[in-house]
Amino acid sequence: MRATEFSWSASDMWLGDRSASEGANLVLYFGARRAFTDKARFDELRSIFPQAHILGCSTGGQIHNDDVVDNEITALALQFGATRLKLVCETVTGVDASYDCGAAIGTALKADDLAGIFVLSDGLNVNGSKLVAGITSIVGRDIPLTGGLAGDGAEFNETLVGADDSPCSHRVAAVGFYGDAIRIGHGSAGGWDVFGPRRRITKSAGNLLLELDGEPALDLYERYLGEDDAKGLPGTALLFPLQICNPDQPDNTIVRTVLAVDREKRTMTFAGDMPEGWTAQLMRGNFEKLCAGAADAARQAHSGIGQGESAAILVSCIGRRLLMGQRITDEIEAVAAELGNKTVRLGFYSYGEISPHAASGICELHNQTMTVTALHEAA
Amino acid sequence: MHRLFAKQLAKATKPSGEVDLDLLGEFVDAAFEQADNDRRRTDRSISLMIEELDQLNRGLESTITERTRDLREREAELRLQNLRFNAALENMPQGLCMFDRDQRLVVSNVQYATLYGLDPERLKIGTPFRDILEWRVSNGSCPENGEAYIEGRLAEVDRGTSYFTVDEMQDGKYIEVIFQPLAEGGWVAIHDDVTQQKRSEERISHMAHHDALTDLPNRVMLREQLDRHLSTVKRDGSLAVLCLDLDYFKQVNDTLGHPVGDRLLCAVGKRLRECVRDTDIVARLGGDEFAIIQPGLEQPMAASALAQRLVEELARPFMTEGHEIVIGTSIGISVAPSDGIDPDVLLKSADMALYRAKDNGRSAFSFFEAGMDADMHERRTVEIDMRKAIAAGEFELYYQPLINLEQNSISGFEALLRWNHPTRGIVSPGTFISLAEETGLIIPLGEWVLRQACAEAAKWPDDIKVAINLSPVQFRSKNLVGAVMSAVANAGILSSRVELEITEAILLQNNDATLATLHQLRSLGVGISMDDFGTGYSSLSYLRSFPFDKIKIDQSFVRGLDKNSDAIAIIHAVSGLGIGLGMTTTVEGVETKEQLDLVRAEGCTEVQGYLFSKPQPAAEVPRLLASFGKKKKAAA
Repeated sequence: MRATEFSWSASDMWLGDRSASEGANLVLYFGARRAFTDKARFDELRSIFPQAHILGCSTGGQIHNDDVVDNEITALALQFGATRLKLVCETVTGVDASYDCGAAIGTALKADDLAGIFVLSDGLNVNGSKLVAGITSIVGRDIPLTGGLAGDGAEFNETLVGADDSPCSHRVAAVGFYGDAIRIGHGSAGGWDVFGPRRRITKSAGNLLLELDGEPALDLYERYLGEDDAKGLPGTALLFPLQICNPDQPDNTIVRTVLAVDREKRTMTFAGDMPEGWTAQLMRGNFEKLCAGAADAARQAHSGIGQGESAAILVSCIGRRLLMGQRITDEIEAVAAELGNKTVRLGFYSYGEISPHAASGICELHNQTMTVTALHEAA
Repeated sequence: MHRLFAKQLAKATKPSGEVDLDLLGEFVDAAFEQADNDRRRTDRSISLMIEELDQLNRGLESTITERTRDLREREAELRLQNLRFNAALENMPQGLCMFDRDQRLVVSNVQYATLYGLDPERLKIGTPFRDILEWRVSNGSCPENGEAYIEGRLAEVDRGTSYFTVDEMQDGKYIEVIFQPLAEGGWVAIHDDVTQQKRSEERISHMAHHDALTDLPNRVMLREQLDRHLSTVKRDGSLAVLCLDLDYFKQVNDTLGHPVGDRLLCAVGKRLRECVRDTDIVARLGGDEFAIIQPGLEQPMAASALAQRLVEELARPFMTEGHEIVIGTSIGISVAPSDGIDPDVLLKSADMALYRAKDNGRSAFSFFEAGMDADMHERRTVEIDMRKAIAAGEFELYYQPLINLEQNSISGFEALLRWNHPTRGIVSPGTFISLAEETGLIIPLGEWVLRQACAEAAKWPDDIKVAINLSPVQFRSKNLVGAVMSAVANAGILSSRVELEITEAILLQNNDATLATLHQLRSLGVGISMDDFGTGYSSLSYLRSFPFDKIKIDQSFVRGLDKNSDAIAIIHAVSGLGIGLGMTTTVEGVETKEQLDLVRAEGCTEVQGYLFSKPQPAAEVPRLLASFGKKKKAAA
């Protein structure tokens, strides 16, 4: 496998080792929504990589080596040897269609030699939990499924996904890896601290949270954010993600992050399901711990692949970036330290991360985590 | 240098090495701004969290306070409940103990310790069950064979099913034990001293099986014993059943009173027991009836010997409260298996044999014989018919004339009872009188005879008397005098026209009372005749004991007149006695002219017999009177 990084900027246009262009089978690219809406970028990539599937999405910031950039488009060209690829793309009409959309993707990719799936999804019009459940319902829980939800900075207006065409919203695209040569390592970790009292989800519907302990959930968030930060909702809600768990399985915790709020109805939309009766507890970030979490995710992913040339796709949560500000590069450096310099690293800040759960191994939608997907092809 | 500042500086440094201070300033400014925001958020969230946690804490504290109060109340309740349970436990009359699955004592009360003479101090929680059993064995508060008892109890515990038992202790106490296994293992047992209850049960059982007066076995026990012995007889062997009836016991009760009668019965019971072996059973069936079961031995010889001994022993006088009382006994005997092996059949057979013994004259014994039951049946049938006959008017009086030899005229008629049975025809008095006497039917029948005869006499001429026979049984009735009085009064005849005929047998019974009755009757003005003289004891002392108006010489003397000079001598002597004592002498059974001439020659004053007339229905009396008048006239 050969992994080559490319980048685009308004001033420099596309930079990268053009020798990789002919053999590349798959190109992943990430960029800010505004840069992505320009169809020219896809056309340029298509001309550079005529043979490759081109898959990408809008983000909340791109990870390029040890830095986080907003103005560039970053791309990763992958050339596989024995590994076969299949790219599928589905339009999702709304949140309620998420499961069926997932099932359709699963059906399109399912094969005996399917070794793993990398998926990119619209970040605002999809229930990520349902999407993942739909895919795994077809391909099974044992197939590694990683990826993320597209982002739109801190604006939460529109997210785009492109799959061998110009990016657009309401779309889910996934690439399937086939054969026994491919090695896919994955890791996911948060590093957030829970704080304050444990609460109970007393009213919810799917990923719509209405009440915690009988009180509108939005009231709680506004109180904790204070007047100024509350104006920045839903983005500022990312500073206080929620850890939820089924009270019967208290060790199997999931972190949920906010996608939207309705100030009139006092409701909050989360990136995944918020089942009634589950326990919920506010979280806050501690820089050192978030970095340690990122390192942990990298360590998990790296342990899943062999030695040699490899590529790592980092999907980290926009919430982490909002919190850490300029110090966000600390977590990128923590990941880099674990992966070593033989691994090409590329990624983006998302509205939701998809990866098998570190404890249960079951593929789920995560929030506020750093997820690392490491790819390597056996010789 | 701070890591972040190093990065900011690197970013703000142009490729030429020149630092873009404006850019660096922006970075630094943003970093400060961000740090401030972060600190503000942190402070805010910490204070909110503290507030929330504090509120929760207060909630928890109040919950804990409430819970603690609840717990204290519950604890107090439990303590009270415990006291109540203890009070109940220590005040229950029974001993109670509870053991756990390891057979160790969990709970016991003082009564448990007391019941078995155990030191309550030793009955500590955790004491092994076996230790307690061993202590009991060592102090004797256990049934016989303590070791076996311990093993038995431990085996019951292992079996683990509920049971109920009554143990008889070595000191005679009875302890009832109710053992109940518990669901969680172990058991609870209740121990109750039921000695009193047991004794009462034994007393009740004794009372149910024994006669209260004599303490002899009663009919129930006799029956049980008979069943028991007969089961042996069925295999091999024999037994005899003796039914005894005391002779003249009723008179003892009537004259000396029931308390004396009761003492006599006790004495009889004692004497009976002395006559039998220990293995024989003597029972009192009620009244003056006793029964004996004589198992084994050679039958019927053994029963015969025993019966003979009993008749003799009971004939010996009894001294009771200063009275010398002479009774006797009649005995009926049945023998198994020859007379059957059914207890009811044997008792009934012995009873029938008893009747035969009584019929044969008392103080005798009789074995059951085939045919007795047929006789018995016959008697019963007659008895039933007789009861109906009085109401149905089947009885009728016939009249036989009495002839005055001096005046050669009819002086009166003797009323003689006949029974016109609808199917049997005329039944002789010999068949039914004795049965009527036994059953007491003679009382109403005798009253009917009195009324009927007097009423009939009222139709006759005033100088014609009517002679009526009385039974000894009627004399035992207190109403005899009244019955005579009312018969005479109702008929409207002079009492002097009535002659009552009695036999010696009447004088044999309870002389004083009989004589008193006779004097009362005499005072009414009726005549009293001694009937059938010469057939019984013919004791002259009887003639002296009461001033009879007439002696009737039994017809057996007349039949022997022709060839028996003794008979002539007796008739001569009696008629002489009659003349001397001022009594009429009547000769019964005169059938020939020769007999008439002889008795007339011997000085008899009155005759009766077929020579003159058989007994005739009442309707014939006027004809007899008329025809005798014609004969008289013809003779004149």
